Amino acid sequence: MPQQELSGPVLMEIPGDPRALFLVRCLVERLTRHLGFPEERVIRLTQAVDEACSNVIRHAYGGRSQERISLKFSFCQERLEVQVRDFALPPEPSKLIPRDLGELRPGGLGLHLIRAGADEVHYEEVPGQKGCLLRLVLFRHRQGGSP
Amino acid sequence: MKVLVEERAPGVYLVRPQGEVDMSTSPELRKLLVPLFCPGTRLVLVDLSEVPYMDSSGIATLVEGLQLSQRRSIQFALAGLSASVSAAFEVAHLMEVFRVVPQVEEAFEEVLRR
Repeated sequence: MPQQELSGPVLMEIPGDPRALFLVRCLVERLTRHLGFPEERVIRLTQAVDEACSNVIRHAYGGRSQERISLKFSFCQERLEVQVRDFALPPEPSKLIPRDLGELRPGGLGLHLIRAGADEVHYEEVPGQKGCLLRLVLFRHRQGGSP
Repeated sequence: MKVLVEERAPGVYLVRPQGEVDMSTSPELRKLLVPLFCPGTRLVLVDLSEVPYMDSSGIATLVEGLQLSQRRSIQFALAGLSASVSAAFEVAHLMEVFRVVPQVEEAFEEVLRR
């Protein structure tokens, strides 16, 4: 993995606009690949971060918005951490429970895709500030997504 | 993204989205796909070979199509899933739910033979 000399963090900020999501996917895909993660993990993390941003736009901002989404990518030899920060009211805890996949119906897959894309997924409120922080952590020496 | 719809035979439709399907583009796919599940339709085949990426809103559109097809006894199949789309389907446990075929022409032959 000859590219490990790249030092982070890498910061990105997009508007709460679905048309900007492709920019997020481009960065996640290229950066994760650059850091030497296997292709399967590149694909899944890209999907997870995209779904996280989509959820912010759809649920936290209620559609296209002037509000921003901030992303921070921190990495070292052992791990990559992606932080997705929004500036809306925090979601109801019940909204963060993935639905049963045994039920065939449109929608409700985003949380599953987020969880499958990283080894650890943490939702945190930001003390004293508006908004929510989602942290997705990928360890270099693990294989799959969250259980 | 754009979506091409071709009627290959009476009531037999080939739908070809081209480009990434995410929450900004899936409404366009839905707008063209859903009306195909109407009386007189025998088969709807969605060729995903030119879709490098599909998010959960795109998958939800396909699930809606599947439900309509089941309700109206219309055959529905998918072809040409990329690695990225396959990965999302696997997470959602949908590979076994949809009829997925590797190539479009095979799908037409297989489905129309039934």
